[in-house]
Amino acid sequence: MGMIRGDEYRDNLRRVKPEIYYLGEKIESVVDHPAFIPHVNAVALTYDMAWAPEFEELLTTKSHLTGEKINLFTHVHHSTADLVQKVKALRALGQQTGSCFARCVGHDALNAIYSVTYDMDQKNGTEYHQRFLNFLKEVQAKDLFISGAMTDPKGDRSLSPSEQADPDQYLHVVEKKRDGIVVRGAKAHITGAVNALGHLVMPTTSMKEADADFAVCFYVPVDAPGLIHIFGRQTNDERKCGCLIDQGNAEYGIVGGEALVVFDDVFVPWEHVFMCGEYDFVFDLVERFATAHRQNYGGCKVGLSDALIGATYALAEVQGTAKASHVRDKLVEMVHLAETLYCCSIACSCQGYRMPAGNFMADPLLANVTKLNVTRHIYEIARLAQDIAGGILATLPSEMDWQDSRIGKYVDKYLKGVASVPAEIRMRLLRLIEGMTCGTALVESMHGAGSPQAQKIMIMRRSNWEHKKKLAQRLAKIAEQPQ
Amino acid sequence: MLGSEIRVSLKYCGSCNPLIDLAKLGNELKEALSQDIGLTLVPPESTHIDIMLILCGCPRACGNKEEIRARATHSIVVAGETIDMVPVKEKDISAAIMKKLKSSFH
Repeated sequence: MGMIRGDEYRDNLRRVKPEIYYLGEKIESVVDHPAFIPHVNAVALTYDMAWAPEFEELLTTKSHLTGEKINLFTHVHHSTADLVQKVKALRALGQQTGSCFARCVGHDALNAIYSVTYDMDQKNGTEYHQRFLNFLKEVQAKDLFISGAMTDPKGDRSLSPSEQADPDQYLHVVEKKRDGIVVRGAKAHITGAVNALGHLVMPTTSMKEADADFAVCFYVPVDAPGLIHIFGRQTNDERKCGCLIDQGNAEYGIVGGEALVVFDDVFVPWEHVFMCGEYDFVFDLVERFATAHRQNYGGCKVGLSDALIGATYALAEVQGTAKASHVRDKLVEMVHLAETLYCCSIACSCQGYRMPAGNFMADPLLANVTKLNVTRHIYEIARLAQDIAGGILATLPSEMDWQDSRIGKYVDKYLKGVASVPAEIRMRLLRLIEGMTCGTALVESMHGAGSPQAQKIMIMRRSNWEHKKKLAQRLAKIAEQPQ
Repeated sequence: MLGSEIRVSLKYCGSCNPLIDLAKLGNELKEALSQDIGLTLVPPESTHIDIMLILCGCPRACGNKEEIRARATHSIVVAGETIDMVPVKEKDISAAIMKKLKSSFH
């Protein structure tokens, strides 16, 4: 089969029957429901852009397994050039969608599991890697969008998975059968869960022997029996039904669309199980997935920032403030911050290295630096956009009032900026900035791919403190202290 | 020596963050090529490409790869506002390329 297009992806979604709930209702089809159409559109663009001549070089590559041309999101990186290509592709997609397009999480899961299954087999003589290769070939052949599901609800964060009063706070194996395993628990904040074709599930925290049942990694189709998806609310999500201009980014939404995914005794055949009990490899899996995923944010969020900066710049022109020196200074600062993040993603990609399995991974320390910077700079970029936009960002009348036969003329009159530009242009720009800087979108930049403290923990681990200390001791002519 | 009908192809860099409008440039070139009797636009996977127009959005010129140049007898590389490393304003690029195609390769 090979690469598919966006409409084929939509057709694939219509063929599956997942159990999805939102606002108290069971959802029959995400493809046709206004709450989900933007998220489907964003993912569909990852398919369609791969076919566009101007983006083809970025969004496609050659499979190292089959030699066939594949969508980049099904590829396992085999060079630093591949890692750089990923970042650039994410930036391009971020520019075109102005939103999260969800597909990178599953992509990063593929890469992490590829290397860890190899390592497990080397040590234990298991067959996970070949099993995973068979699965990967299927993903590439069908150009599947799969979500990456790592985060457990976690319950009492001070306790390990096996110490929890309710063991379901961490997804775990409840039964092993001849033909597969049965799992129970949940995964939280899963991006693209409701419009993916399946979930690649991973454990979320380092584990000890007592946690062996929680050390499980597998793939499950989105409509597997026992799988329940509860879609999360987003800021102003009611605007998806009945508004167009007021949505801001009606085509692609404001975030990837996250769900709580419940595994109510779900059966997984062995052919789709890629870790089961190997608790001593969980740390590696978590770290490699986190590295791959944190590498991304200087790509995708910078693409979004490009669009946000463009909206802010355009709005300044419409409002007649573009030539003010402080406005120009703030716009420059927005670019400076965005490109700093891009520098980080490019750097961690260029400094990537080969794993024993043959794939390449970004530099973990620099990838965590990338994401930690994102948690700060995106908020500052948003703050500057709101500063330049002005208070009207929070008080803008609705599109319904603008369209009203009696009072619309007042909205149109008093929302005008420069005389030559219709008020509608200003409204559209303001709504786009509102959607991109207020609420859910910012929180995603904070916590997506792990919260700031998670990055600090990784930076602490990877900082080679003793080496740095010796550098200082040598320069200060201090003899090494006896151990 | 090139034949009477010159086979030209377009290949883009990937457009991660272009400094020029690559899609617009590509469309202008396709239109101009369609109106020139001596030049034929062919897909980049074709055999016997006389000239590969490699359209890159910035000086990094990511599309200027050996395996792409190897598909054609000659290549012209646009990298941001340059053509084969010579500065050209964006608005003049398509006309400059057509002039280069006609004067150098006919």
